[in-house]
Amino acid sequence: MKICTQLFLILVIFRINAQPNCEAFKYYGDTLKYEACKEAEKRSGHYQFSRKYQEALDDALAIDSTFAFAYRAKSTAYLKSGDFITWKKLIDKAVQYDPEGQLYYRASCRYQFFRDYKGAIEDIKHLDSLVKYDIGYSQNGDYHLNIIMALSYRAIGKPMESLKIFEQTLQDSSYSVGIYDYLHLGVLNFEMGNYAKAIETLKKQEIENDIAENRYYIALAYRKLGNTKECIYNLDLAKKKYLMESRMFDPYVEKMDQIFLIDIENEIETTYNNR
Amino acid sequence: MKKIIVLSLLILFASCSTDTNNSKYLRWVGDSVYTLEIDTTEFKLCNSESSVRQYFHFNKGLQYKGEKEGLRTEFKQEYTAVDTDQSGWIRIRFIVNCEGNTGRFRIIESDMDYQEQVFDERIINQILKITQSLDGWKVQSMRDKPTDYYQYLIFKIIKGDIIEIMP
Repeated sequence: MKICTQLFLILVIFRINAQPNCEAFKYYGDTLKYEACKEAEKRSGHYQFSRKYQEALDDALAIDSTFAFAYRAKSTAYLKSGDFITWKKLIDKAVQYDPEGQLYYRASCRYQFFRDYKGAIEDIKHLDSLVKYDIGYSQNGDYHLNIIMALSYRAIGKPMESLKIFEQTLQDSSYSVGIYDYLHLGVLNFEMGNYAKAIETLKKQEIENDIAENRYYIALAYRKLGNTKECIYNLDLAKKKYLMESRMFDPYVEKMDQIFLIDIENEIETTYNNR
Repeated sequence: MKKIIVLSLLILFASCSTDTNNSKYLRWVGDSVYTLEIDTTEFKLCNSESSVRQYFHFNKGLQYKGEKEGLRTEFKQEYTAVDTDQSGWIRIRFIVNCEGNTGRFRIIESDMDYQEQVFDERIINQILKITQSLDGWKVQSMRDKPTDYYQYLIFKIIKGDIIEIMP
């Protein structure tokens, strides 16, 4: 029973992207962190950009300057306002005091907000070297960190390494497929010239999450294989889905492989002109 | 009674003022206060300073004529790569008012390790000038009321060329 309680408390302390349970610090006798944690709770009800929110976290850090959660919570407003310099200083502090609990966040933000692919790869590899359990998902839950690593390798021109990670991750029976995993793998296959494989993969995306993007890229793959009928059918469907807002979306940033209406319309025009 | 109310209001005002003056923070992280030396007087907010939102508060992502691709095209057409070894990120943040006009431009610059660096003037001047000339920002509304909002653009620069534009 005691082991169960301890495990539960450990999980609670390191729970992804949430306010830590202050009682867990108390349970382990870390009084300073407990007090800092209680102070940080005073930000509750205040907007993360606001003075009160930031000040509550400053007060928490005045009690315990090693309280990683407070640095990360402070960093988010800077991240969302595009202030990468202040964000990085704060999130580096969080990682310094709690690498196992904070590297996932720094890695996924580097990828998502700043297209810092090399930095994301470094962080994910570092995290993987520190822990024996599943390294987990990005801060917004869209991707497993392995997939972020695969996407980052692709972005820096290492498609074979990207493909290897995609295949290893997706073959793992315990892995839950992400909402865009097969889309990105399909695009990777397309870029590598494996058009039949791209179609096969993008059809899997249809089953997981059928959006404008997979219809768009499957159309391009069909065109490469000379199948104009399927190309036009899928481009038309991509446009319909796009207009119905069945497409990739992130309120903060453009996603990798995201398409826009003009992309679809240009491809429709090209296809009709080349018939 | 009247004296008590006036006194109470004075105390309240004083305490609020003290609270604000003692804080190193403005209303929100990243707020840009009008500065006579760098901001044009032509640009006006439609609503109060405390009503300016962030672009993502509208949950629509970046809102520009022709979407993100339209914005990218403007930079592809107007920006000329500079022959230099400089790389890093440049952020330009500004306010889009309720008429789609822009002002209060603020710049930060870093190298690839997120350390502050000053970019070659030929890079920064071009990017600022193009950003200031963009005229396709969409008006965004909250409860049907056109609302002023903060927008930023981040440019990932590799050896003097724009490689990516965010958000």
